[in-house]
Amino acid sequence: MKEAVVIKNVTKKYRMYRSKKEQITDLLIPGKAGKNFNAIEDISLTAYQGDVIGFVGINGSGKSTLSNIIGGIVPPTTGEIEKNGEVHVIAINAGLNNELTGIENIEFKGLLMGFSREKIKEVTPEIIKFSELGDFIYQPVKKYSSGMKSKLGFAISVTADPDILVIDEALSVGDQTFTNKSLDKMNEFKEEGKTIFFVSHNLGQVKSFCKKVAWIEGGRLKKFGPTEEVMSEYEDFISHYKSLSKEKQEAFRNELAERRQKSE
Amino acid sequence: MNSLVKLLKEQYQSIYLIQRLALFQLKIDNRNNYLGLVWEVMNPAIQMAMYWFVFGLGLRGNQDVDGVPFVFWMLAGISMWFFMNQGILDGTKSIHQKFNMVAKMNFPLSTLPSYVITGKLYGHLALLGIVMVAFWISGYHPTIYYIQLIYFIGLSYSFAFAITLLTSTLAVVVRDVQMIIQSLLRIMFFLSPILWLPDRLPETMQKFMKFNPFYYLSNGYRAALLYNDWYIIDHWKMTLYNLGLLTFILMLGASAHYKFRDRFSDFI
Repeated sequence: MKEAVVIKNVTKKYRMYRSKKEQITDLLIPGKAGKNFNAIEDISLTAYQGDVIGFVGINGSGKSTLSNIIGGIVPPTTGEIEKNGEVHVIAINAGLNNELTGIENIEFKGLLMGFSREKIKEVTPEIIKFSELGDFIYQPVKKYSSGMKSKLGFAISVTADPDILVIDEALSVGDQTFTNKSLDKMNEFKEEGKTIFFVSHNLGQVKSFCKKVAWIEGGRLKKFGPTEEVMSEYEDFISHYKSLSKEKQEAFRNELAERRQKSE
Repeated sequence: MNSLVKLLKEQYQSIYLIQRLALFQLKIDNRNNYLGLVWEVMNPAIQMAMYWFVFGLGLRGNQDVDGVPFVFWMLAGISMWFFMNQGILDGTKSIHQKFNMVAKMNFPLSTLPSYVITGKLYGHLALLGIVMVAFWISGYHPTIYYIQLIYFIGLSYSFAFAITLLTSTLAVVVRDVQMIIQSLLRIMFFLSPILWLPDRLPETMQKFMKFNPFYYLSNGYRAALLYNDWYIIDHWKMTLYNLGLLTFILMLGASAHYKFRDRFSDFI
């Protein structure tokens, strides 16, 4: 099988400052002020063509940072990432303008996504149909409910036809019927043999949709393997974590956070 | 040099994108006003009238400038200024303001300043059209010298773009740059022969003022619209100097832009 994405020892460090003063000091004399925070730490992972990989982990574990690095939005601090094919991040709310109408937004967001004039013309009717907005498509987006706005954004986003897709919490959009429709669309992508990275807190969705799962804890890759194997362990961890008292949960999180600040 | 080639290629490939987004920008900016786009012309028109009142009538007693009424002389120069000023100010903000809008897409970031400036260019062309009509009515008819306008409008656009390419990058790293640029532009405005003539200044100071590109640009607009001379050739030393300066700023801007581009997300 052909490799689609190869992540080699990728680390992303952020500098954290308590004040503007620290930030300026660090800008002038690097390393003088502020703290390092490892959003992700030494992650290596290979995705083959057609893989559907779910990222799971508790809040703040680094799933989004990793998916942003794969999407090319954030550069890694160290390590390498190799991508064979075009990557597209499904970002439902990015690139929509409240002042413009739905139909204008289709062109606007389409342009931002790099569509040509012809492509925009071609996909506009599909988007209108998929978004289920009816006559609202001629209204400015600021008059939309948040669900309607997300539907429009999602409908535009999924018209891209990349080789590699990154989906970060995008399927919790709209009502149940729309979620099902979105899932169908995702399954279509899956059947077409696209490589998909899927970030979600909805474990049911991850289990039914992904072929492999990467469990990320405190910025590190804790386990990576076939869905059933990783998920059963992850679910055990989650139920154990939930059974802990609030203090113990906090202690666990603090321990992880401390490690991420210390490690160089 | 490499980054300059990359930049020009990126701009060239995005021409359609740039002009469409510029039109959207005009729409977005003016949607909530009843008069909409009229304000793009009305605002500068009101300001021009005030400047004429103070600097023309008040300080100069409406005296001619080499045979051209002061108000015309001023209008030709100041329409260029409004474009440059607005373009540079908004262009400087463009990246840190709009980065999140395009963050998750593979968007050619160097087109953010250019589409903002292109939006301002449309307003500039409309204003310039009105100014021209006023000139024609008053007897300053179009001549062959008008073709210089294409060059001077293009040069103004290029200067605005080159400068904002650099300043928009710096403004991402240090937000204060925006304030610095605002002050610098105000200084440049009064140090350029836009509202007043430097003919009463000592010789050396007058020479020194010619290093300011706004000097060349404003007089170029005037030569094309009013004075009917070949400014580009008659002042070929200034032409060379300004083209050199433009190339230098553009190279500086391009290398700064590409050097920091990957790290914009860390700063925003």
